[in-house]
Amino acid sequence: MTKKITMSFNKLAAGVVVAIGMSQAATVSAAETQWAGFVENATYYREGRGISKFRNTAQAEFLKPLESSGAWTDVTLNGVLRATYDGVYDLNDDEFGKDATEPYLGSNWHPQGSATGGPFLSAGVPFPCDNDPTLCNNLDGYMDHDEDDARFPDFNDELDFLREFYIDATRNLDNGDQLSFRIGKQQVVWGRTDLFRVLDVINPVDYSRHSIYDELEDIRIPQWIAQAEWRMGPTGTFDDSNLAVVWNFDKFRPSNLGTCGQAYRILDAGCFFSSSMNLNLLPGAAFPGGANPYGSAVPIIHDVEDPDWALDNTQLGVKWEGVYGDLTFSLNALHYRQQLPSLHFRPLAPGLPIPATDGVFDIKFPRVNLVGGSIDYYSQAMDAVWRLETTYTHGEELPRDTDGHKETDMLRYVIGFDKNQLIPALNETRAFLISAQLFGQHILDYETDMPDFEDNWIGTLLVKGWWMSDRLSPQLIVAHDFRAGATAIAPSVEWLPTDNWKLTLGANFKTGGDETFDWSVNNGAGATPNDYEPLARFSNGPIGVANQEDEIQLTVRYSF
Amino acid sequence: MLKMSALSLIVAAGMATPAVAATLQDLENSFYPYKSGKPQVEGIQPGMVINKDNWQKAKDVLDPAMLEFVKAGDYEINVGDTTSFDLHASYIDATKERLGKVKLGAKVGEIEGADAGRPFVEEPSLDDPRAGEKLAWNFKYGYNWGDSAAISPFYWKFRNMNNSKVERTLKFNFHFLNFTHRTQQAPVPAITPNPSNLFRGTYVQVVEPFDVKNTQLLIHRYEDDLKRDNAYLYLGFQRRVRRLSTGQVTDAFLGSDIMIEDFEGYNGRISDMKWTFKGAKSMLLPMYNHNEMALDSETHQDEDGYQVVAFGGKGGCFPQVSWQLRKVYEVEAVPVDPNHPISKRVHYMDAQTFTIPRTNTYDRKGDLWKAWTIGQAHPDHHLPANKGTGVSIDDSFSMIDTQAQHCTTGQFKGLVDPSLSPASKFTVQNMRASGR
Repeated sequence: MTKKITMSFNKLAAGVVVAIGMSQAATVSAAETQWAGFVENATYYREGRGISKFRNTAQAEFLKPLESSGAWTDVTLNGVLRATYDGVYDLNDDEFGKDATEPYLGSNWHPQGSATGGPFLSAGVPFPCDNDPTLCNNLDGYMDHDEDDARFPDFNDELDFLREFYIDATRNLDNGDQLSFRIGKQQVVWGRTDLFRVLDVINPVDYSRHSIYDELEDIRIPQWIAQAEWRMGPTGTFDDSNLAVVWNFDKFRPSNLGTCGQAYRILDAGCFFSSSMNLNLLPGAAFPGGANPYGSAVPIIHDVEDPDWALDNTQLGVKWEGVYGDLTFSLNALHYRQQLPSLHFRPLAPGLPIPATDGVFDIKFPRVNLVGGSIDYYSQAMDAVWRLETTYTHGEELPRDTDGHKETDMLRYVIGFDKNQLIPALNETRAFLISAQLFGQHILDYETDMPDFEDNWIGTLLVKGWWMSDRLSPQLIVAHDFRAGATAIAPSVEWLPTDNWKLTLGANFKTGGDETFDWSVNNGAGATPNDYEPLARFSNGPIGVANQEDEIQLTVRYSF
Repeated sequence: MLKMSALSLIVAAGMATPAVAATLQDLENSFYPYKSGKPQVEGIQPGMVINKDNWQKAKDVLDPAMLEFVKAGDYEINVGDTTSFDLHASYIDATKERLGKVKLGAKVGEIEGADAGRPFVEEPSLDDPRAGEKLAWNFKYGYNWGDSAAISPFYWKFRNMNNSKVERTLKFNFHFLNFTHRTQQAPVPAITPNPSNLFRGTYVQVVEPFDVKNTQLLIHRYEDDLKRDNAYLYLGFQRRVRRLSTGQVTDAFLGSDIMIEDFEGYNGRISDMKWTFKGAKSMLLPMYNHNEMALDSETHQDEDGYQVVAFGGKGGCFPQVSWQLRKVYEVEAVPVDPNHPISKRVHYMDAQTFTIPRTNTYDRKGDLWKAWTIGQAHPDHHLPANKGTGVSIDDSFSMIDTQAQHCTTGQFKGLVDPSLSPASKFTVQNMRASGR
């Protein structure tokens, strides 16, 4: 333990040295460099598990104007540096970390059922790269973090402590239009939604930080991107018109779902990926030919096909957006890779429904083409703003029971409604923000053995108020997955005692996780159907699978 | 001097044709009310200090709310000499070119022929039921910040009036741009293309503190007064532009004591209010020479040597500036919307500049709620860059919530410089580009 902590602090120290070095270099060369940032502690307590987060973050942001020349203007160097240490793996290592074993797969969200244990699924191995070299090798390139990686998530080979680092430059054209470029590590935000993403899919997301509940700003994984914008401004028809090309030339990175052993692992996918099928325990009679071909348990994951960097593997998007009267709109197109893993079944032999001896699935990230658009419309009659956003994708792959996966076109949409409503009985001077969203998803090539719903909807509601000159702000977030029957309720109160200090006290309660989904492997063995594992994690969704993650959360931030 | 000479010629020429001469005289009176003499009120002299011991002398020259502050000892008023705040000659010329061509439409909010300059230069009459509306138009199409300007930086301090504690300090940049009604900065009279026929843009960017850094507000006001503004908000932590409902226009902006609708004295549509002219009189208004005032070196210092106006009085809620006797139009504005959070505003408009240095706001019960002061600085005694611009510089503000004993104060660095407010800054795309 001592050695690990020492090594980890060395990483942290290296990051801080780099950050400070950069800041000093910038400060020396340009006195007008603007700096801001914060230090923060987030301590969360989970019912029945104890401390689930003791995250300490230092973040610094800078903007350094550079010398402009010729037609180039507004040339700036921008950066965001972040260092995080999550002490939960040191303070509560019985529950989280490399030694936090579970009695059975999914014990953190459902009863044991008949598909875990015995010849079926073993419990997930926490932090396989600390505990199981074979599994670690199988997961190489994805969800293969060791405990130190989780403890210091910003310090890795991808230089994630460099949250953003890009150059902005604008060129004024003779006709009054502008060409603007932003090149470097950055977040590119499309879309108009909160909590869940429809159009906002250029950057992958790190769900291991706090599932879906942190601001996307803090959990998008920045990518090396070149963005060019042709800002036409007002035209004969539009009040504003802008064409943007986004080239994500970074090596592909999928979303981080959280490694087994971490406190937040969306869909509990991390533990599923580090579990095994104990097929070696079955009698020979259960197999064709009367002999058991498995000498040992079969890992769920055999390999991760992580696309190498190649020009052909980069991702490209185009967006045209503008303002037309009371409408703001965008039309979007994107060629990218699916950021959630697709599981491809590996048969023991072609046509056989039993897996290969060295792993059940390969993880792949298929190419996806997306077209979509968004609209904001202010309704004068309702004094409210309507938001619409939709995407149609081709190339996504969804899991299914009998064949691992299927490619299907997907339609997603969200209708949002925002209204500021004065409620004099509660606050005579400051209106409440009421924001509702309804997300819909339609699977066009649906199959009954898909552990998902052909049509499903998630509704969200945000009610936020402000008192004491906006220094006290309670809010309530509710999210409900209709088909999964799962609900998350997240009340919180934010208090700003001064311009520098911010305290946020919150809670997060979830219900759901009751959906089951028959696993044909289990049925075939004559066991009781209606399993939770392994497929119901998909139908219960991120809220239902987190049904035992009720938490009290306190965050203290000092900003400068 | 050239401007005065030109106007004299105009007046002289107008004398030859009596029907026009009266209108030109109105113009002369409107833009140069002190040409024939400064206001004289018994007991009020430049150099005197009005305080709780002699407040009676000012009971006819201070509005009710300010008189109460002085009477209670919350504020002492230094009386300065009345000075002429001459507006830019281009604005006066534009007014002259349209004399007699501007008229109100059938509905409140409709106007014809007013595409530049001051719409109505004639002296308002209590017998004219639409006199208040005409004065409101004069404010809306006034030379308030000229064709474009910026306030950078702009400090807002939230203060507890009882214990003087500064609870919060916001640092902004504000930018203003007239798309139409332009008289001085190229292009004149309008920026094109302008497909939605915007009249004015207001762009606000929060610089500090960190929790609201990169928040941006963009307001598009249309030439058609009957059309509601389009407003957009960019929240830095969301990195998204969101449309604002108008409910937020009457909300406490970022927790301050100020509504978006309060900006610049009144920041809404003419058609949102029922306007009533209550009379003209000589009153004390906070209009002064910035460079001669007490300045606050602690809040802001820069390479220009510029410092912002200091604040004092009870809770630090009052600008430490001098007030001068001015010709004032009192105008009452009652919201058309019965659900509006206020029952009325009473504006005290400066007759020469048509700025609104003083406003008192009354709650739905009719009780005094807020006292709104916007100090006006003469451009020739401010930053060198502002000299000769003919813009009455908004230079300090104080919004006092008299019921909550709380205030928000504002300290400006106003710059009349078109390079700071190009049209490209007033686009939705600029908000995305300027945000992180």
